[in-house]
Amino acid sequence: MVLEATMICIDNSEWMRNGDYGPSRFQAQADAVNLICGAKTQSNPENTVGVLTMAGKGVRVLVTPTSDLGKILACMHGLEIGGEMNLAAGIQVAQLALKHRQNKKQQQRIIVFAGSPVKHEKKTLEMIGKKLKKNSVTLDIVNFGEDDEGKTEKLEALLAAVNNNDTSHIVHIPAGPNALSDVLLSTPIFTGDGEGGSGFAASAAAAAAGGISGFEFGVDPNLDPELALALRVSMEEERARQEAAAKKAAEESSKQEKGGEEQDATMTERASEGASEADNKKNEFLQALAMSMDEPASSQDLQDTEMSDAAAEDPELALALQLSVQDSAKDSSSQADMSKLLADQSFVSSILASLPGVDPNNPSVKEVLASMQSQSEPQQKQDEDKAPKEEDKK
Amino acid sequence: MSAAESATAIHRNQVDLLDFIDWSGVECLNQSSSHPLPNALKQGYREDEGLNLESDADEQLLIYIPFTQVIKLHSIVVMGSEEDGPKTVKLFANREHMGFSNVSDFPPSDTAVLSQDNLKGKPVVVKYVKFQNVRSLTIFIEDNQSGSEITKVQKIALYGSTVETADMKGLKKIEDH
Repeated sequence: MVLEATMICIDNSEWMRNGDYGPSRFQAQADAVNLICGAKTQSNPENTVGVLTMAGKGVRVLVTPTSDLGKILACMHGLEIGGEMNLAAGIQVAQLALKHRQNKKQQQRIIVFAGSPVKHEKKTLEMIGKKLKKNSVTLDIVNFGEDDEGKTEKLEALLAAVNNNDTSHIVHIPAGPNALSDVLLSTPIFTGDGEGGSGFAASAAAAAAGGISGFEFGVDPNLDPELALALRVSMEEERARQEAAAKKAAEESSKQEKGGEEQDATMTERASEGASEADNKKNEFLQALAMSMDEPASSQDLQDTEMSDAAAEDPELALALQLSVQDSAKDSSSQADMSKLLADQSFVSSILASLPGVDPNNPSVKEVLASMQSQSEPQQKQDEDKAPKEEDKK
Repeated sequence: MSAAESATAIHRNQVDLLDFIDWSGVECLNQSSSHPLPNALKQGYREDEGLNLESDADEQLLIYIPFTQVIKLHSIVVMGSEEDGPKTVKLFANREHMGFSNVSDFPPSDTAVLSQDNLKGKPVVVKYVKFQNVRSLTIFIEDNQSGSEITKVQKIALYGSTVETADMKGLKKIEDH
């Protein structure tokens, strides 16, 4: 919550055309600038941020320190790439801009994006650093992009000259899959000097992490809580149902014949449609099967959610789903049929073999088969036990 | 600076202006974080010879002291060591938020070159007429005695008097008749 005036120095030199970061180095930089502006203004509403460019025809101040985020975002538009970065002049102009800030109580901070080679001498940079320290200006350096002889060394020397009690930082960001702004989120530039991350930075980091699918179902609970909840509940119910099915008797009822055929057709259809895409659809397939066999009362809503998602893709699948929903609604005993059918190893493998996208020799397929089989074994044992009970039921 | 003025004795009615310093606005540029300004200004700290105000990046120091009320400045005491104590001291009255870049932009209200006597505690009398209506004082220490990289100041004391201001305690409510 430090009251701060910040000047951000952007590198818009020719080196920024390179695409090794994000869409282009320049675009990655622009995203990072937006993030920083947001974080600063959120941590303290009286904070001001200004922007200047270091390359092009010369150092140019785009916007003087202001707390108006819209102005800052607007000035990032239509920036041209070209020329060479002039680091020394850029920092000095930033210092001047900060000196003339309106609220003299604000701390002065400069954030520099150094993406192209640094042509100044180390001595020059050290002197600039000393001058900054003398005027109690803190400096954050983002070292990315080009990494030629001595650049890192020069920047480290500059930081050492400015640094007063660890208030200034340098961050080295190599090219990689992660976006520049995402990497910056975890650095002290965002999190402040040990004050703890601002709420903005923390939530932005969480969202970024979710985007890289660190979540169970590939759905960030923050973004879509209902879908995430539906998926999770359906998974749990499927597991519970499988356990219950293992205990239930496979009813050797006459209905099995009739219901079985219908179920056969629906299951085959659904199987072929549902898992035809790829291996990662297999989970959805199993879930969908589980859905159709679930207690209708409790999971009807979830069924609808799950099924409507899948059905949207395929009209035949939709028909199959409808049939299965009707079936499960009227005949709970047919649930047992399904489990028995699944338990039949040969039946399952024949289905899977007929699916265009699934290879029975695929290890993950074998895993699934194995798990089905292990459930079918206790089932068969209990079949015999509960045979008398079935007759009572009927 | 009038050399004829009494060198050692503080004039009558001149008080130590320590009580009138507005501590929330006190600033010092280029001070070392381990040896900050309170070491030289605050009661108790400034008497301790081990606690000094030291400069950081180079030998110059810029000290800004606002006051809680308007004062007249009569003299100052700057104490330091023989080699590292300050030499040239420039005083600016009522200039807010100066920086090292604009110290040369306007002439100082007074300049003092400190001798060894001064560094031992002899007060420097200032041009009283220039300091009649002081709300804030900026002290610019330009260099030190030996020209070393770091300037060390052991004590800074300000002597003067207050301008007649309304004594709020004496205000009484007018009786309604």
